[in-house]
Amino acid sequence: MRFAAAAMAVAGKDLRCELRGKELLPALAQFVVLSLVIASFAFDLDSSSGPRLSPGILWLVLVFAGLLAFGRTFAAERDTGSLEAMLLTPAGPSAVFAGKALAATVLLVACEAVLLPAMAVFLASPISPAVVATVLLATVGMASLGCLFAALAAQTRARELLLPVLTLPLWIPFVVVGGRAVQVAMSGGGFGAWSPVGQPYAVLLDFDILFLVVTSLAARFVLDD
Amino acid sequence: MIVVRARGLVQRFGDRVALGPLDLELAAGERLAVLGGNGAGKTTLLRLLATVVRPAAGRLELFGLDATRQRERLRARLGYVGHQLGLYPALTAFENLEFFARLYGLGRGEARTALEVVGLSGAAGRRLEQLSRGQQQRLALARSVLHDPELLILDEPDASLDAEGRDLLATLFEGRSVVMATHDLALARELCGRALLLRSGRDAGHCGRLRPPEDRPRVPRAIGRWGPATEAEGTSPSAWPPAVRIGEARGVSPR
Repeated sequence: MRFAAAAMAVAGKDLRCELRGKELLPALAQFVVLSLVIASFAFDLDSSSGPRLSPGILWLVLVFAGLLAFGRTFAAERDTGSLEAMLLTPAGPSAVFAGKALAATVLLVACEAVLLPAMAVFLASPISPAVVATVLLATVGMASLGCLFAALAAQTRARELLLPVLTLPLWIPFVVVGGRAVQVAMSGGGFGAWSPVGQPYAVLLDFDILFLVVTSLAARFVLDD
Repeated sequence: MIVVRARGLVQRFGDRVALGPLDLELAAGERLAVLGGNGAGKTTLLRLLATVVRPAAGRLELFGLDATRQRERLRARLGYVGHQLGLYPALTAFENLEFFARLYGLGRGEARTALEVVGLSGAAGRRLEQLSRGQQQRLALARSVLHDPELLILDEPDASLDAEGRDLLATLFEGRSVVMATHDLALARELCGRALLLRSGRDAGHCGRLRPPEDRPRVPRAIGRWGPATEAEGTSPSAWPPAVRIGEARGVSPR
């Protein structure tokens, strides 16, 4: 109970700071739209090639938007000493990490709320509930991993370089499986793909559970000196 | 009751020994001023005591508990303000305290009380970035006493505080054990009963009991002159109270 209350307090504080400061969300939205504009010119997309290339473009934009979002999660806190202040409370590093991961997930979902409609506009991608579900499923696992490595990278001087080097290899499973799931969804496959074991959705869910457990166990060692 | 007990405490940054070996004891209700020039290890000592970092060697006990292994149990009993205030510029003074109150399992009432104690009730709705540096320092002090800790660990708490703010420190110290780093000798004499002098590198320094201001023939102007003006009680280490036998084992004499 106390863990949940502390995590919610941290997440609420992060979101409130972001809404007041308006540092990350406008930049992410701008990044997403610009990436799609560039992609639409670079690939010379039309109504037939658009849906075929869309899954790849979606995951590329999502991965780099994620790196931008998670890079800020812990760096600012370390610079101002507020992470230290939080960790000196009895809340514990795991609750602090869970709260920050939750806030980062919400920010990434907000970014996706711009990305998916923009894809429909710029790439003529068919955005179905199955596409949204795939992206949301992947976001949970990506956010927990991204936050863990952001916490680790924030302790170093070369944090901007270290974060992608650490994070991207472990995001590959989400890109591979998520890309496949989005491709299936965009070609008309729906939630029927949920039930059979081994289908992309089930695999994404497994990844989420695995990485949530691993990162919450590792968080205390990363955050607590 | 012994609040702080350190034996052979050492902290290293790479190959460089930043602190120690240091022995230290602090009884309940005692106030210790940590003095020394830049790079002497004051902040390092305070960060060790606040359980922010673990020592490289030696043993540190707080309230009889191992400060390395039982940090989470100790933290509700400690209040710490470091060089960095650790507050959020986008939040108001009240929101900052309310957030930390929630992490301590407390409510809005405690946050409001802490704001009143440091005299910031009128600025509760102002964002941190709209407060002066002194007001920000007061807010950080409010956060450190929010949960009514038994031991306060403060790194230059007088920074940016006006005369009224310095009086506030005396109020906050009442009934608590305190370890405070400062460059202000007058403040150290006013607020603390004891002093620990640290010197750069491996020389862990020594400790003396501060004389009351009226007994002092002269007041050194700079921290570098601290030595001649600091005196320990008695002439031999055995005459000192146990809590001031800093460096005794290594043959360091009090001045």
